[in-house]
Amino acid sequence: MSIEPAFPYPVGSGGRLVWAVTLCIAIVAPVAGQEPAPATEVLRFGTDPTGGAPYIFKIDPAGPYVGFEVELASYLAHKLGRRAVPVEGEWSTLPELLDKPRHGEKGIDIVLNGYEQRDDLLQHYAATVPYYVYRLQLVAHAEDDSIQQWSDLRAGKRIGVLEGSVAFDYCQRRYPGQVLPNKDVAIMFEEVKRRGRVDATVQDNPACAWFVFQEPVYRGHLKIVGEGRQPGFYVIYLRKDDLQLKRQLDDAIRDGFRDGTLQRLYSKYGLWNADQQWLAWSLTGQFPPEDDAPIETLSSSGGGSVIPLIPKLLQAAGMTVFLSVASFPLAMLLGLLIALGRVYGPSWLAAPLTLYVEVIRGTPLMLQLYFLFFMMPKIHPVLALDPLYTGILGLALNYAAYEAENYRAGLLAIPRGQMEAALALGMTPLTALRTVIVPQAMRIVIPPVTNDFIALFKDTSVCSVILITELTRRYNELYNFNRDLVVELAILTAALYLLMSYPLALVARTLERRWGTPHVPR
Amino acid sequence: MAIIRIHHLVKQSGGHRILDDVSLTIAQGQVAGIVGPSGSGKSTLLRCIVGLEPFDHGEVWVHGRWQIRGGVTAPRDTLLQLRRTVGMVFQQFHLFPHMTVLRNVMAGPLHVQGKSRAEAETIASHWLERVGLKDKLSAYPAQLSGGQQQRVAIARALAVQPQALLFDEPTSALDPRMAAEVMRVIDDLADDPALQVAMVIVSHDLSALRRIADVVHVLDRGRLVYSGPADEALAPNGPTAHFTSSEQPR
Repeated sequence: MSIEPAFPYPVGSGGRLVWAVTLCIAIVAPVAGQEPAPATEVLRFGTDPTGGAPYIFKIDPAGPYVGFEVELASYLAHKLGRRAVPVEGEWSTLPELLDKPRHGEKGIDIVLNGYEQRDDLLQHYAATVPYYVYRLQLVAHAEDDSIQQWSDLRAGKRIGVLEGSVAFDYCQRRYPGQVLPNKDVAIMFEEVKRRGRVDATVQDNPACAWFVFQEPVYRGHLKIVGEGRQPGFYVIYLRKDDLQLKRQLDDAIRDGFRDGTLQRLYSKYGLWNADQQWLAWSLTGQFPPEDDAPIETLSSSGGGSVIPLIPKLLQAAGMTVFLSVASFPLAMLLGLLIALGRVYGPSWLAAPLTLYVEVIRGTPLMLQLYFLFFMMPKIHPVLALDPLYTGILGLALNYAAYEAENYRAGLLAIPRGQMEAALALGMTPLTALRTVIVPQAMRIVIPPVTNDFIALFKDTSVCSVILITELTRRYNELYNFNRDLVVELAILTAALYLLMSYPLALVARTLERRWGTPHVPR
Repeated sequence: MAIIRIHHLVKQSGGHRILDDVSLTIAQGQVAGIVGPSGSGKSTLLRCIVGLEPFDHGEVWVHGRWQIRGGVTAPRDTLLQLRRTVGMVFQQFHLFPHMTVLRNVMAGPLHVQGKSRAEAETIASHWLERVGLKDKLSAYPAQLSGGQQQRVAIARALAVQPQALLFDEPTSALDPRMAAEVMRVIDDLADDPALQVAMVIVSHDLSALRRIADVVHVLDRGRLVYSGPADEALAPNGPTAHFTSSEQPR
């Protein structure tokens, strides 16, 4: 079954404005054909706007959210006599918002954000009938002749996928070792467009249809490759005891397909295709006699044991250790040089070094990693480092600022007489630093430095934002498809961190005992 | 032959002259005492000689070759050569606490003179034996008494074979018994005809200076007010009388 997107709106240079106006009107006005109803009660729907177009996005940063799911929520709420209100959350944890009080902070009634029908989620939550049939679509650069069909991915192509999505699970199983997960859909299309860190991306067809055909920045740069695969349903999740709400939503979805409202809505975003036609027939029981082929749908994992997942966690723990031991020595070296420059260097050097320390300490590590990974390549393509190198460099640059302050404190704690005695012996200042001052300073700062090493060990989890699969990220990945094992996975992950960091604490204590107090004999 | 020559040295701080037109000469093998009331500039003078303290006017010549001029930053090589010729022993010892006694004394030969580890160890052992600390080679400074630490500092300074050694109040941080111990070592070194190291000793211990020093220079409020034989300088009615009456010599 192929996807045949329909694009009823002009999207050329002038068309974007028309498109924007149309969407704005669509979000403000009730869905066509519906009578306005008093909307005193709200329908809070959990959504992650960072998922972007065509699900939920903004054309005007100061304006309202638009997108086919925003309009769908508006339509459903209208049918229920309510008013749709988006509640923002992180996509992979949206279902957990249903576990919170309905009227509390981040309280929601439903999750409506491209969530697939999955067995593991159905164990905990109720779901409506499907409102959309998606397929996994392969997108590559328009001029990349090396990717003409799905099987071309097997030639070691790097594939960007949305973390925690079905596409991620599918590609992990079919193309192990080639998958680069990310939390931002747009970034992956961007990487494909500029032929950066990924060669292709596998996404649900709504996102692909939008970026390949609708988004002017990408149009002409991307192509859809082969047929859509692994069809599945988008459903709305809600609390298991919300039976009345489920019934109302199911009816509203069926009505929407029956009276053509959803066809018009999906068509507006270029998302109506043969799969949706089949879904409409299926839900309304109005199959034409010649087309009754069922769609084979995804069956996700779930209900299993945590034991088979342990090797995956251990492998990711290895990456955590590697990131730590590769980046911290660099941070120590750089930090020491910065501290020496500030304390003993020429006066003109102190200001830029102080600025570096303050900028790094004053900005989040995640932002720095984003800068290194996404901004540097825009400055010059040669600066496009692999995720692993970027992670090591980012951690080293960040922790260097903290280590510099540790070492500076250590250097300032050495009595002036030590340097004078070394100079009076005839040592050069460099020799005095190397043999007399720095060794003493290093001993003084052993406790804070080892403390920072343990902290960095845990901060490696931030590297997940730049596609590195370390322990925390692997936990998230596994958790997304094994929600019934959430407690076991969390305990296992925490235990692994503890198992790795506790020996470090012991080493630190030994070092402190042996060298940490230079004025007291061993 | 003069090892150290000081010409019209002036050092000011905050409009106040800490050293005021000081000129003196230290000959090879000579033991000179510098005395004066507290704040008269004795320690500052020693620090100016080895370039640890800048000064405003005048000159310091070492061995007739290495010159530091007032108001001018001395070239790095000059300072290195000068400090390898003139050693210094500090009031607070300033031993390197992370090194053993042996490593402290090896530091000069190893890192300054570029000698091999074995050579440096031999030299260090020799000087530690000379100051009576042969049995403390593997001890750390914190394990020694103050007097022992100062003797290590003396051995450390001598290990680089200086031609002059400056002692900046070497016993003032010590109790009388330890001070006597240190002065005995200095006395012993001063009496060694083979050593031929000029010594400049800033001290309040006038009785020890009378025994050890060949000449005594008296500083008062930054000015050199007397230079002459120790016996004469330290006589009860000599030039030190007016401050020794108010300051008890140790």
